[in-house]
Amino acid sequence: MRPRRLALAAAALALALAGAARAQTPAAQVARGIRAYQNLDYDSAAVLLRAALAVQGGASLADSERVRALVYLGASELYRDHRDSAATLFGRLLRVDPRYHIDQLQFPPEVSGLFQQVKVITRVVALVVPADTEIGGGRDVLAVRLYAATFHPVDVAIVRPGPGGARLRTVYQGNVGDSLQVTWDGRTAEGTPVDSGRYLLQADSRSGDGKVVRSVAIPLTITRIRRDTLPLPAAPAAALFKPEHRPGGNGVRGAVAGAAGVIAVLGLPAIVAGKFHASNDRLLVAAGFGLAGVLGFRAQRGPQPILENIAANRTLRMAWQHQVDSVHAQNVARRSEVRLRVRAGALQVLGGAP
Amino acid sequence: MSRRAPALLFAALLWAGPAAAQLPGFLGSVDLSLARQHFRSSFPGGSESLSGALMSGRIGVAFRPVSVDVSYAQGRLASGDGTSAARSVVEASALVSRRVTPWLLLKAGPHLRAYAAPGSTERWVMWELHAHADEPVITGVLAAYVEGWIAPISSANVDPGGSGARGVEVGLTMRFPDSPLWARLGYVVDQSSLKSNARTESLQSVVVSIGLGGR
Repeated sequence: MRPRRLALAAAALALALAGAARAQTPAAQVARGIRAYQNLDYDSAAVLLRAALAVQGGASLADSERVRALVYLGASELYRDHRDSAATLFGRLLRVDPRYHIDQLQFPPEVSGLFQQVKVITRVVALVVPADTEIGGGRDVLAVRLYAATFHPVDVAIVRPGPGGARLRTVYQGNVGDSLQVTWDGRTAEGTPVDSGRYLLQADSRSGDGKVVRSVAIPLTITRIRRDTLPLPAAPAAALFKPEHRPGGNGVRGAVAGAAGVIAVLGLPAIVAGKFHASNDRLLVAAGFGLAGVLGFRAQRGPQPILENIAANRTLRMAWQHQVDSVHAQNVARRSEVRLRVRAGALQVLGGAP
Repeated sequence: MSRRAPALLFAALLWAGPAAAQLPGFLGSVDLSLARQHFRSSFPGGSESLSGALMSGRIGVAFRPVSVDVSYAQGRLASGDGTSAARSVVEASALVSRRVTPWLLLKAGPHLRAYAAPGSTERWVMWELHAHADEPVITGVLAAYVEGWIAPISSANVDPGGSGARGVEVGLTMRFPDSPLWARLGYVVDQSSLKSNARTESLQSVVVSIGLGGR
């Protein structure tokens, strides 16, 4: 009769605890479960922590609390001689957080040892991407951080959502140890930017023989955005330009220069070389001076160019034109440049253990 | 002097000149000239006359406010009637110049001249002072110039040695609009003398040049 009474008492206690647990928030249940574990009351700890983990919907545990509940529940189950259940719970924990490292100061070696054994065989990977980012233009890329529970091969790709969704681009194919950062430039395998729409950033963990053992994905909502073009710089104000001509003279100076040249060419041989027999070749130069004198006379009667001002104005115009050309070039690049806004959703499990 | 020297010089100028003139901040110039030259040597009891063509090249590099012009010319002179032996003429100069006013440029430096005839070579070394002035005829397009020089110190390897030289060049420089290219037509007369008027050598040339860069 005595064992029967004890069993009934234990059942009543479990029912009472379960009833009390239901009346509390999951986070409070986790705290009570941990206290029960620390008081070596593993049965109570297991009941409280399972109750906390069973809550679904909006009141369910946050990932950090879920991980905490799982590690204490796994340890409790180990001490309750439910080793397989403990291993399953540790595997579940690693699927929530592949990076999780058990605290060896908090848990005895038999718990941490089992956790490590499970970790070595659990081929899961987590993806972390910025929630909202802008990529494209050949410079900005989407940075994807992969966290793996154990060293194993992983494929990361951009795929269309839905069954048999087309793979648009393989982002990474290879082994992942602890963590790895890969990048995506917003383009398909053909090198064209993806269209606006919904996509998945999918990571497939593979077994040693190449089979996919687990797939996780982050939904990406991608919107093409057009960059604004730059305004053209305003032309230099008229006041900045200097006058390029001055009023003309009477032309005498030009005529005198030409005449002086003719006289010099004709007279130089006698002046410099005395009785030298001058060559007639010099008459070509004298004729040149004569023509220059006529042209100079005519040219100097009209408006005279101010060369320094013309050069300064040309420099000013060229500087402005250079700015205009530069802005044009930038605008052409901006028009042809496709930029993408990428909004990332929450990690989803597509296949394999949840 | 090798006969290939002028050809190599001209090839180098043609190759380097336009490229150098396009370099940002380059303040130098290059030009090539073709001259028809008349030479007359007068000495007690006679004279001889020769004429021929010279080709020359010049490179100028500016180190503001000073610039340096290096030139080389080579040609051959011969008498029209065959009474005098033909000779090669080679000239080289290196002149340092400084613009002292917007229209006046002063230059100074050595000028070497050699006449090579079969069996003998006459060499002159003249230390010259030049004054160069410009006057625009058509602003920005055409300018007249005059350049005079004297050589107060000169030496020659013929007895009784050089006593000095002087010369004048007048001409027109035409610039092509919006281009570093310019062309020049000039007339040059110079005279060098041996001591005691033992001999007087006179040269007159009509020079056509085309150049890039300053001037």
